[in-house]
Amino acid sequence: MSNIVAIAQKELKSYFASPIAYIVIGMFALLYGYFYIAILAYFIRQSLQMSEFGGQGAQALNVNQALIRPLLQNVTILVLFVMPMVTMRTYAEEKRSGTIELLLTSPLTDFQIILGKFLGAMALYGIMLLVSMIHLGILFLYGRPEWKPLISAYLGLLLLGGCFISVGLFISSLTKNQIVAGMATFAVFLFLWVITWIGGFSGPTVDQLTNYLSIINHYDDFGKGVIDTTHVIYYVSFITFGLFLTAKSVDSERWRS
Amino acid sequence: MIEVQHLTKRYGRVTAVEDVSFRVERGEIFGFLGPNGAGKTTTMRILTGFIPATEGKAIVAGFDVFDQPIEAKRRTGYLPETPPLYPDMSVVEYLGFVAKVKGVPSAERRQRIAAVMERTRIDDVATRLCSKLSKGYRQRVGLAQAIIHNPDVLILDEPTAGLDPKQIIETRELIKELAGDHTIILSTHILPEVSQTCQRVVIINKGHVVAVDTPDNLTARLRGSETMYVQVDANGLDASGTLGGVAGVTRVAESDRRDGLVGYEVESEHGHDVRRDLARTVIGNGWGLLELRPMRMSLEEIFLSLTTEETPTPAPTAEASAPTPEGEETAHE
Repeated sequence: MSNIVAIAQKELKSYFASPIAYIVIGMFALLYGYFYIAILAYFIRQSLQMSEFGGQGAQALNVNQALIRPLLQNVTILVLFVMPMVTMRTYAEEKRSGTIELLLTSPLTDFQIILGKFLGAMALYGIMLLVSMIHLGILFLYGRPEWKPLISAYLGLLLLGGCFISVGLFISSLTKNQIVAGMATFAVFLFLWVITWIGGFSGPTVDQLTNYLSIINHYDDFGKGVIDTTHVIYYVSFITFGLFLTAKSVDSERWRS
Repeated sequence: MIEVQHLTKRYGRVTAVEDVSFRVERGEIFGFLGPNGAGKTTTMRILTGFIPATEGKAIVAGFDVFDQPIEAKRRTGYLPETPPLYPDMSVVEYLGFVAKVKGVPSAERRQRIAAVMERTRIDDVATRLCSKLSKGYRQRVGLAQAIIHNPDVLILDEPTAGLDPKQIIETRELIKELAGDHTIILSTHILPEVSQTCQRVVIINKGHVVAVDTPDNLTARLRGSETMYVQVDANGLDASGTLGGVAGVTRVAESDRRDGLVGYEVESEHGHDVRRDLARTVIGNGWGLLELRPMRMSLEEIFLSLTTEETPTPAPTAEASAPTPEGEETAHE
């Protein structure tokens, strides 16, 4: 356990020692801030219009439904773009610089190294999500949003990010080149995102299948404030599978290299 | 302390190491000598558990590196060819991380880090980032990293590669100092290094063990005869016949000729010092004796003759150094 923590700490520290953490969090904060302002402006106009025409005042628009949910839905898109940059170096950089020799000749199991790296990236992702909570906090100052759907939405975001990180780790473990790892990770993410596009006209079986595989469809319920075990199981098994593939890749690298 | 039995490593169809066996006793400094690509790094990587062997067995500090990797790794310190430093960590941070993953108890960590920094003389760069270190310091931090958990076995892959002469001497001294507490395997393709630091040497070429012995024995065993270099001003005459007539001389060969000066390589029986007689003969003939010196077979030549297959280098002792089969015998001792 202490080994896992040591690796995770090292990973997190190295994100902050290099520009990566600042770029990732900074860019995320900028874009997220823009989304926030845009959606908030739209929300204000809508509620003004409703109070003028409907005359029913404050109860007309639900903050959770009309503001927070679309906002966090957009966060998933940011995550899609940002996470490859976080995971692309995890293994690729260690292999390129030779520090992988230190890790693999230390009394650590592969599982400890992988889990440490996973948790390190999760920690950075968690810090990034914390930034998004500041904006939401402001809503609590001026309105009365429900906080329970927020918890489910953030749980969903964490699980979604975990899937991205586990796939990113696996792809990073396949190459020495960070750019290759980053690009391939992005392509895989995007594919998992749009996989449902062929579902609509390929018959009900394919439709069901692609719906199940689509990494983003499973987020919908979390966004609505529903924690459905189906989706939790989907995400957790996705993460486990990604980490399992990483372990296999690291082990097979050992035999080939 | 280290026992390697019939180790073989294949990558697809390429065989990097084949049937390598040797033993290293506690406290010894054991040298791996071989040209680049001979299989030194591969063997070391197997010993450290970085890669598995295709066949054979390796036991380090009493633990099989394949069956009980964690136990073996706990007792092994390893410095790869390029020190595995994290560029964005300071030296202290780096050593702290390594101490953690190598399992140094948290209560002892601080004191161990201070101790290895002092020992490898890196105190003055303690807070500097690893990426800002010079080659010499990187190597020393690499060494500090390898000894931080006080391992029984130290495996050093070309520890002096890329250092300047002063740093090389310092590193060698440091390695010798460490030998008391640790069993050390080091690899190199620099020959003087082996004769200066190692107690025993294994010569590897193309994945095979060619010889295992002490540097002195290797030199002695391969020196079947002694050779002198004699440069003579014989007024244009051929002196080889006359020199060949000296008692004890077995063979004379002309090696170079310049401005009427001729250099000869004179071989003599082992243990028969012919220098006095050679000098007397040359002077007695009224020639000028310009140079007379023994040509010793250096470790370098031994190495070359053991690792080159095609016959060879115009080295005077090429014939004497032929007994490669003898070398192979010792490999299985």
